[in-house]
Amino acid sequence: MRPRGVIVTLISATSPAAARRSAQGERAPIDWIGYVFIAFFALPFLLFNVAPVFFGTYVAFTEWRIIGTPEWIGLENFREAFDDEWVWLAFRNVVLYAVIIVPGVTILGLGFALFVNQGYPLSGLARTLFFAPNVVSATVIGLVWVWILDTQFGLLNNVLGSVGISPVPWLTSADWSLVGVSIASIWWDLGLAFVLLLAALQDIPRDLVEAAKVDGAGPFSRLWHVILPQLRPVLSMVITLQLISTLRIFSQVYVMTNGGPAGSSSSPIHYMYTVAIVRNLYGYASALAIMLFVVILLVTVVQRFLLKEAR
Amino acid sequence: MNGWLERRGMRPVDVPIWIGGMLVALVWSAPFVWMVSTSLKFPSDVLTASIEWIPRRFTIDNYVKVFEFPIVRWTLNSLIQAVTSTALCVFFGAMAGFALARFHFPGRATIFLVFLASLMVPVEVTVIPMLLAFIKIGWASTYQALILPTIANVFSVYIFRQFFLSFPRELEEAARLDGAGPFRLFLLIALPLARAPAIAASVIIFTLNWNNFLWPLLVTFDESMKTMPVGIAAFAPVVGTHTQLEGYSVAMAGVTVLSLPSLVLFFLLQKYFIQGISQGGIKQ
Repeated sequence: MRPRGVIVTLISATSPAAARRSAQGERAPIDWIGYVFIAFFALPFLLFNVAPVFFGTYVAFTEWRIIGTPEWIGLENFREAFDDEWVWLAFRNVVLYAVIIVPGVTILGLGFALFVNQGYPLSGLARTLFFAPNVVSATVIGLVWVWILDTQFGLLNNVLGSVGISPVPWLTSADWSLVGVSIASIWWDLGLAFVLLLAALQDIPRDLVEAAKVDGAGPFSRLWHVILPQLRPVLSMVITLQLISTLRIFSQVYVMTNGGPAGSSSSPIHYMYTVAIVRNLYGYASALAIMLFVVILLVTVVQRFLLKEAR
Repeated sequence: MNGWLERRGMRPVDVPIWIGGMLVALVWSAPFVWMVSTSLKFPSDVLTASIEWIPRRFTIDNYVKVFEFPIVRWTLNSLIQAVTSTALCVFFGAMAGFALARFHFPGRATIFLVFLASLMVPVEVTVIPMLLAFIKIGWASTYQALILPTIANVFSVYIFRQFFLSFPRELEEAARLDGAGPFRLFLLIALPLARAPAIAASVIIFTLNWNNFLWPLLVTFDESMKTMPVGIAAFAPVVGTHTQLEGYSVAMAGVTVLSLPSLVLFFLLQKYFIQGISQGGIKQ
C-alpha cells in the first residue's frame, strides 16, 4: 500500500533507515544556490510559523494585558488554569466533541467511500456532493445549520416531527448544544476523510478482492477480512487528522452558539479566544494554547504508539 | 432492463444499494439547497409550519439587503488577502520544493523535516503571540497583518517537492548544458511543466485563505478591514430572540454569496482539489 499524506511522510522521513539513506547520499557538488531558493519561503516561515511558538511560550509565563508591560509570573497562569472551572468544562466538552465527531466522520466517510468506489452510474456526482461541504467556510456551515437546527421552524425538527419526535432544542439548551454543533461539524469535516479513504480504496489491488470472491467470501466478509486490513494505515491517519482538528474546534462553535448556553458548547480554543479578546488576558490565553498543544502532542504520540503495538 | 444494468456492470441486487446511496448523496446536499431556497424567499414566507423547498414566490430583496452591509469592501479585502497570499505561497513554495527535490546541499533533509514537523503545531498556538506583536508594531487591522502570517503554508512546498522528485533529469541536464543558470532553469523549464501541482496548490490554498476565520477575526478591529467570512458571521440571528428570526432569509443570502466562489472553484477544478487533498492529507 502506498503511504499517503504529510503525516506518513513525516513518520517515514524520521525513520533511522531514511537517515542512513540521506547520510550515504550521492557525492554530488554542493548547490549553494539551494539555500537562496529556500530562503524566500523560509523567511516568512521562521517569522510567522516558528517565532510565534517561542514568543507565545514566553507570553504564557507572563501577565500581559495589551496596555503596560508584561510581568513575569512563572507558572501562575497554568496554576490558575487548573483551578478554572471553565477550563475543565472546555476540555470536557472537547472530549465529547471528539467522541461524537471522530467516529461520525470516520464511519460515514468510509461508508460513502465504499459506495462511490462501486463505480455505479452517477457516482461522480455522488463524490462531488459528498465532498462539497468541505470547501465552504465556517460561517456558511454555522449559519446554515443554525437555521436547520432552529427549534421551532428548523428543517431537522420538521423532518423529525413528521415521524413523531417532538422538537429538540438543538442549540438553545445546555443538554443539546454540543450535539447540534457536532452534527454541523460532521457535515463540514467529512469530505477530507471521504476522499482519503476513497483514494485508498482505489489503490487496493482488484485481484485481492476478486480472489476473496472466488473463495466464496460474502460482501461483509470481504469488507472485514480483505478491505479493512488494507485500509488500516489510511484509516489511522484519518482518525488522527480528525482527532487533532476536533481538538482545535473553534469557528463553528463561535458562529453557531458562541460557546453557550452557559458554556455547554465551549471548547479550549473558544475559551482562549474569550480570555484574550473579552478579558484581555493575553498571558493566560497563551498558556491555554500551550496546554492544548501539549494535549495534541500527547494524543499524536499515543496514537503512533498504539499503531506500532498493533502491528 | 437487465441489458441496461449489465452494460453498467451492475446486478439486480446492486439496484437498491445504488438508489439508497444516491438518496444519501441527495440528503447530504440538502443544506445547500435549503440555503439557496431560503435566500430567495420573502422573510414572511420563511418561518412556515411545513417544508417549502421551492419558494411560493421569489424575491431578490434579501440579496439587495446584503449589499446594505459593507460587503463589497469585505469581498475586496478577502480577495486582496487570498490572491496575494496564495500567489506568494505557491511561488515561494515551488522554489523551495524545487530546491528540496533537485539541489544537493547540506541540511536539505533536515530543512524538509522542520517544515513537516511544523504541521504538528496548531495555528491556534501562534495566533495570540502574533496578535500581540502586530498590535505592538501598530499593524492591527491592516492588509500586512491579514496577508503575512498566511504565506508560509508548508502544503505548497510539500506538493511541489513530491512533483519535482519525479521530474526527468534529462531536461535539467540539457538546460545546464545550454548554459541556463538555476533561476532560468526553474522559471523557464521546471515551473511551466509543474502546471498540475501549481493548480492543485493554488485552488486549495486559495480556498483555505478565502475561508480563513480565526486570524482575520482576531486581527481586524475596524468594520472596513473585515474579510467576508468574519463580516458575514455577524449575520447570525441571535438564537432565541424572535425579532432576529426574521433575519434567516438575509443570512442565507449572505452565506450564498460567501460560498459561491469556493463552490464554483471546486466544481470547475474538482480533479485538482481531490488529487491535491488526498496527496497532502491537509486540513485547514
